[in-house]
Amino acid sequence: MNNKIITPLEASDKVKKSIAKRRAKDKRLKFYGRAAISLAVCFLLILFYSIFLKGYSGFFQYYVTLDINFDRERIDPKGDLSDNSLFDGEASAIVNESLFSIIQPQGRKAKKQAKKIVSSGKDVRITKMVKNDPSLFGTITKVKFALDDDIDSFLRGYIKRETPESERRISNKVIEYIDKLNEEGRISYEFSDYILTGSASGNPEMAGIKGAFIGSMLTLSVCLLIAFPLGVATAIYLEEIAKKNKITEFIEVNINNLAAVPSVVFGIMGLAIFISIFGMPRSIPLVGGMVLALMTLPTIIISSRAAIRAVPPSVRDAAYGIGASKLQVIFHHVIPLAMPGMLTGTIIGMAQALGETAPLLMIGMVAFIVDVPNSVVDPGTVLPVQIFMWADFAERMFIQKTSAAIIVLLGFLISMNALAVYLRKKLERRW
Amino acid sequence: MNNINNLKSLELTVGDPFSKTARLKARNVNVFYGNNRAIDNVTIDIGSKEVISFIGPSGCGKSTFLRCFNRMNDTIDSCVVQGEISIDDENIYDKKIDVVPLRARIGMVFQKPNPFPKSIYDNVAYGPRIHGLSESKQHLDYIVEESLKRAGLWNEVNDRLQSAGTGLSGGQQQRLCIARAIAVSPEVILMDEPCSALDPIATAKIEDLIHELGNDYSIVIVTHSMQQAARVSKRTAYFHLGKLIEVGRTKDIFTRPQHNKTEAYISGKIG
Amino acid sequence: MFNFYLLSSILLISLIFFFLGNNRAKKLIILNQKNLHSLTHYYGVYSLLASLLPTLGLFFIFTICDDLLFAELIKKYIPKEVVTSKDYNFAIVLAQINNSVEGLIFGTPPQWVTNAAEIWVSWVHKSQIITVISCISTALISGFFGYKKINSDFRSRNAVEKIVMSILAVSSVIAILTTIAIIFSVVFESVRFFALIPYDEFLFGTVWNPQFEGAERAGSGQEGLSQYGAIPLFAGTLLISIIALCVSVPVGLFSAIYLSEYATSKERAFFKPLLEVLAGIPTVVYGFFAALTVAPFLRSSGSIFGLDVASESALAAGLVMGIMIIPFISSLSDDVINAVPQSLRDASYGLGSTKNETVIKIVLPAALPGIVASIILAVSRAVGETMIVVMAAGLAANLTANPLEAVTTVTSQIVTILVGDQEFESAKTLSAFALALTLIIITLAMNFYALHVVKKYREQYE
Repeated sequence: MNNKIITPLEASDKVKKSIAKRRAKDKRLKFYGRAAISLAVCFLLILFYSIFLKGYSGFFQYYVTLDINFDRERIDPKGDLSDNSLFDGEASAIVNESLFSIIQPQGRKAKKQAKKIVSSGKDVRITKMVKNDPSLFGTITKVKFALDDDIDSFLRGYIKRETPESERRISNKVIEYIDKLNEEGRISYEFSDYILTGSASGNPEMAGIKGAFIGSMLTLSVCLLIAFPLGVATAIYLEEIAKKNKITEFIEVNINNLAAVPSVVFGIMGLAIFISIFGMPRSIPLVGGMVLALMTLPTIIISSRAAIRAVPPSVRDAAYGIGASKLQVIFHHVIPLAMPGMLTGTIIGMAQALGETAPLLMIGMVAFIVDVPNSVVDPGTVLPVQIFMWADFAERMFIQKTSAAIIVLLGFLISMNALAVYLRKKLERRW
Repeated sequence: MNNINNLKSLELTVGDPFSKTARLKARNVNVFYGNNRAIDNVTIDIGSKEVISFIGPSGCGKSTFLRCFNRMNDTIDSCVVQGEISIDDENIYDKKIDVVPLRARIGMVFQKPNPFPKSIYDNVAYGPRIHGLSESKQHLDYIVEESLKRAGLWNEVNDRLQSAGTGLSGGQQQRLCIARAIAVSPEVILMDEPCSALDPIATAKIEDLIHELGNDYSIVIVTHSMQQAARVSKRTAYFHLGKLIEVGRTKDIFTRPQHNKTEAYISGKIG
Repeated sequence: MFNFYLLSSILLISLIFFFLGNNRAKKLIILNQKNLHSLTHYYGVYSLLASLLPTLGLFFIFTICDDLLFAELIKKYIPKEVVTSKDYNFAIVLAQINNSVEGLIFGTPPQWVTNAAEIWVSWVHKSQIITVISCISTALISGFFGYKKINSDFRSRNAVEKIVMSILAVSSVIAILTTIAIIFSVVFESVRFFALIPYDEFLFGTVWNPQFEGAERAGSGQEGLSQYGAIPLFAGTLLISIIALCVSVPVGLFSAIYLSEYATSKERAFFKPLLEVLAGIPTVVYGFFAALTVAPFLRSSGSIFGLDVASESALAAGLVMGIMIIPFISSLSDDVINAVPQSLRDASYGLGSTKNETVIKIVLPAALPGIVASIILAVSRAVGETMIVVMAAGLAANLTANPLEAVTTVTSQIVTILVGDQEFESAKTLSAFALALTLIIITLAMNFYALHVVKKYREQYE
């Protein structure tokens, strides 16, 4: 324990002794870093994998082919193809007859169970077909019908034969009938014509995302139409026109705060102000779009300001030099150069808005909407809310369709983000 | 490309680049940044316990060459070093050599003072701590005190060792950096224009310090000031566009330069 | 439809004024044999704006005030018995009348409703006539005045630009209006809530059991029926956030260290965007993943170890939320680590440190304020997150520190209460606003603090 100055030689020795441990620690840190990134990537892959696995089969479902006798008098009693007439018709009964002729159920109970095999949308299918093509009347044509979701789950193997009948959702008799239909080659597994063209339904086999998708498109359009002009205008004003004083600072603080507020709160505001005070109807894309616009506004403002700031002062100086006025400099010179950055910021903001659920729940876009909205003031829902609602339902087929809907949603988000990245690369200027 | 590298420079170095007490030996060193050659076939010895200056016009590669000695150029991706630099007859660019002990033997002081955002004590103690040089807290205290004394800073800061290193004046910060380098008991200290960011008074103090340190360490100092070279170093090397033009005693370089380029620089015609 | 036609007519009139103004300017140029101050289209635009802006303003005022005015005036037509009845709720009565007005008739409404509806409809007709007349005349008159202003001295471009700048200024006020709207809507209803429930019970009570109730709370002999102690909610939020941090901080921080200090530029270019993808996935997808993949997995693996994991455990929600938050921490930390000046690293390497010594002893301490700020921001995001907890965590308030149990959070309660039937007078609905107020205060406070930390840290290096 003598206090002495260490000679370079001694120091070198000590350093050399310490090297091994220190290098080991260095390797460890590198390893932890790699492990962390791998873990994060793993999470991502597991997420995508599990959704894809569940969702891929959501695009397909089981169908049964039956020979349908398009008897005009029974399907369209009034003979004018009107909704009333078709409603009074017996399309369902005809389908059941065709089915019974194959499986021949005996007794009331068996018949009742057999009636449930084909999806309850069978009459709608028939009536749609005859409306589109009245020449079907008088023919016997093969028609594919979706099978009820329990049958579908059975055919996929989620409901097993081995389970005792009392614990199963479908009875032994029904399994018998399915086997019979299978033997005749009438059961097929095809791309679902419901998932993309159907709307919300309580029956999983008929459920589709068309209504939600159109609702999303309408809501996003409203959001874009409101948020983009307002956001760009605010960015222009704050960056180019307003003097730096207390008021502009206050506005900036406000914008940063709004960016930090949880999305739920915007929904509450929409509920209290747009719906309660202004008395606007709930559940319409117009109100949803307004709420989302206010949410996306900070994102667009901040990215637009950054884009405007990136335009070098030399451009402005040159324009002023030839006598342009302030607004002419802004609109003829600065904005076109800043537009790529503004666009990418807006696309990213829209992508975020597309995936938002909570604020739209608050303003009531959650009711059981069956119709496809035709305008921004018709009640509708959006894709993420549809996913949320379906996730609650216990039927197996809903799980698959929900995953399929998620795949569609993610597909759109990836394309939008890819578009933003592409635009940014393509239109990037190096000053 | 390779052929050009191995060609000896058509201009040979004037004067005596070698030293009898050589600690560091550089032989045919070429340094490339990408495709640009920054150092062209330089051969020179750094002697033991001497102060040698590297002088030359801006951009002639002095700093780049300096950084070769402690392999700081490793941190730059595009930099490639060819040739041999050896300490104790071991080529430091050999793959087997671990750079950590090398840098403990060859310390560095940078152009802009860069103390860590830690206390003065912790700044100086950082090196000894990571290398495990001290045996006890008291020993560490002693090392810190000695290093600060040798750097000429002890009297000014001994009452506030726990205060932030960044709170010192520019000249004090640079002396702190020197103390920090001394604390790991190096043999060689490389200094890259250590006074260029300092005012004249601080500069004078540090120049005195360097002169003193030359008794205990080999010091290589890059400077763009000929007066500084004249004040602190016994030997001087003149660089021009990456080539080593002339090496010799400082007095001789400044009064009777042998090469016309050296003469041109000294008399202010170039640089 | 009426609005559409009116607006189109207004637009048409303004367009006509544009052409009139433009032509007048052109004539003046020919007349005076020299150019005017501004290009001719500026005169056209000026006339257009002169006609359009006041009219639009008038139109919006009429449209908005109409409904409010009618709602006030219709009160006279509600019979006294209805007003003084026990269940009287003006909003519902108004809705009844509106339904009748729009022809949505379910069964037979009371006679007074039909009467009131008829009167409302007549008012609407009157107001439409007034609106049309005033709007069209305003458009014509103000447009004419704008047109008249055009003479050889008139600097139209300046006038137009002034108008445009005012429009831009107004749009930037929208941001403030939104904040005011949020504060107003939440605070107003919260105040009404706290009139019913004392705020120390809300903040410190440990039982959360809101019910819809017909009777007032206290003094009706039904104490203990409905309780609004929010502590279990705060605890649930805290528990899930802590679990999320346990996942995201190590993964995020070490990823940031690797990406900024060890990774090659190829690795960085590949992995950094990949981590950002985690932030882009909609939260409803995370919620679905948590509820249908993670929760059952935890439950079954729990039973292997003999642990009873609830099907809506805090652990499932917390883990998935942690995954979602990783990019918040990794991205921000990466930025602050990169911002540490290279000169410090040079000094450290020059003394002979290994990379990890430089990172741990020099870089991280220098970057620490920024890293702490990023963690605070991540927490604030976790606290405000809704969908993951609604779908994967429970709905029953449960005061526990056990991550294997089901808990509920502030946000999921807000959603549960406000989705579905609401009576704006009951304490249950209003409690959602009180919760929202707490949420806003906490998240804003955290954001302020994080920004403050970053500001102080930036001063160090600039």
